[in-house]
Amino acid sequence: MNVAADRPGRYGRMMTSVLRGTLRLDVLINRIYPTDFNPLYYTGGLSNLFLLILVLSGVFLFFYYVPSLGGAYDSIDYITQRVPYGDIIRGIHRYAADGFIVAVLLHLFRNWFTDRYLFSRDNPWISGMILLLFAGFIGVTGYQLVWDDRAVALTTMFAAMLQSIPAIGPLLVRLFLGGTGVSDETLVRILMLHIFPASTLYLFLWWHYTRIRHPKIWPPAVWVLFCVGLVFLLAGLIPATSTGAAAPAVRPTTLPLDVFFLWPFALLNVMPPGAVVVLLVVLFVLGLAIPYISRREAPPQMGVRHAGVAQVIDGNCTGCELCYYDCPYNAIIMVPSPAPGLSKAAQNRTLLAVVIESRCVECGICIGACPFEALELPKFLERDIRAQVTDALRPAEAVRS
Amino acid sequence: MKVVGFVCDWSVDLHPLLDGRRLRGVEGVHIVRVPCSGFVRPAWVEDALTAGADGVFITGCPYGDCLNREGNFLMRDRIDALQRRLQRRRIDPARMTMLAYGLHDGDAFVADVRAFVDRLAEKKAAAGTP
Repeated sequence: MNVAADRPGRYGRMMTSVLRGTLRLDVLINRIYPTDFNPLYYTGGLSNLFLLILVLSGVFLFFYYVPSLGGAYDSIDYITQRVPYGDIIRGIHRYAADGFIVAVLLHLFRNWFTDRYLFSRDNPWISGMILLLFAGFIGVTGYQLVWDDRAVALTTMFAAMLQSIPAIGPLLVRLFLGGTGVSDETLVRILMLHIFPASTLYLFLWWHYTRIRHPKIWPPAVWVLFCVGLVFLLAGLIPATSTGAAAPAVRPTTLPLDVFFLWPFALLNVMPPGAVVVLLVVLFVLGLAIPYISRREAPPQMGVRHAGVAQVIDGNCTGCELCYYDCPYNAIIMVPSPAPGLSKAAQNRTLLAVVIESRCVECGICIGACPFEALELPKFLERDIRAQVTDALRPAEAVRS
Repeated sequence: MKVVGFVCDWSVDLHPLLDGRRLRGVEGVHIVRVPCSGFVRPAWVEDALTAGADGVFITGCPYGDCLNREGNFLMRDRIDALQRRLQRRRIDPARMTMLAYGLHDGDAFVADVRAFVDRLAEKKAAAGTP
């Protein structure tokens, strides 16, 4: 990568100031809450909490939903009017979705601004972008399922966007609508497109977590209670509503659009459908490319001192698994030991630690974990650290003697 | 006073605070910079204490905000374990401590180190006068 050698570019300076701002915000919130309860440290866990609320309320709604042109709107109406607490559950599903997207976006920006996507940490970033894309898509189909006049307009606009894709556009429209026009099949497909990506979110979450040991997947209890309470409160105070039964003959002139999920449709006011599709694709590709193109400077200018991938000293490793448990990135695996080690403690080992180089971020946490001197960072040798400590203690010794 | 401090590269910004390897403004504090607070092997702390250091502190990022996710939590636990172990060998556990400060908390960091050094000096004086 060719980066200006001497000084960080405008982008670099902007990211540095954003990083400063993020950390200041942390300090500010840490003054209000103890650091273990700072909600900004749990944005991922909060997203997970909202996702669970969505799944639970979604299963409830699924029991009553009728995916057909005539039945969809009435079944939603039935849930809202007749089912005990149905309106509350519907509101919960609605507001938890907003909470989810807010938490996800905070998670994204926080990890972006604090450089937690670079080098070996691109896997969570890439899987996270796919999770975000799916979350947006699930949100849009969720608005379509209600089948009020907004949903009909959204479906028309979505079909127009698909149609504008060259070559495969008409095919995609046929696949999406389940025929040449909107029919009962369409709502079955939309329901499928709502639930299937929601299920695969958990698959991508598994990928999201693979390289992370002890991921913080759940916020502290106080924030769980707060968020559940907030969602209940909103659902009770501002019930989720439909805009009015779909009437194909009447074209609505204005529609209330959700900021978080439906902003691409708002853009259709000022852009042709093709341009919106191109914009979405460009945004997604740029998002995927962030870990590779958005390094602000070369590593030395970022203050990264390259420590080198941790190395296991075969002769000293006793196979005790301490480094394996402490490595935050699952970069150390234990394999059956091919031969006994050299040191006395390593004579009877059955396991040997092996570092997966592509996962190692050179943090050195395994060095602190190892009591047998069986791990080293090539450029931070134990010898040098000990020499520095000895150096620190020497002059005063000389004065005393 | 001879105090050794292991300071994480990502926690306090040391550029304005350091004089070579010594902490400006606090007497006798020598800084060893490490890539992460979790890098510090408890044996080094123990050896520094037995080799004549009056105190050792380790500084990591604020809890919950470690760049390497959990280096500072792990180090806090290791320091706790080390303190219990050294107590059995009649080494005062107050001679080692774990601090957590972010990039821009330089002033608070220095104040905390000064308090730590003052505490050590008091203890030393109390032990020195029979």
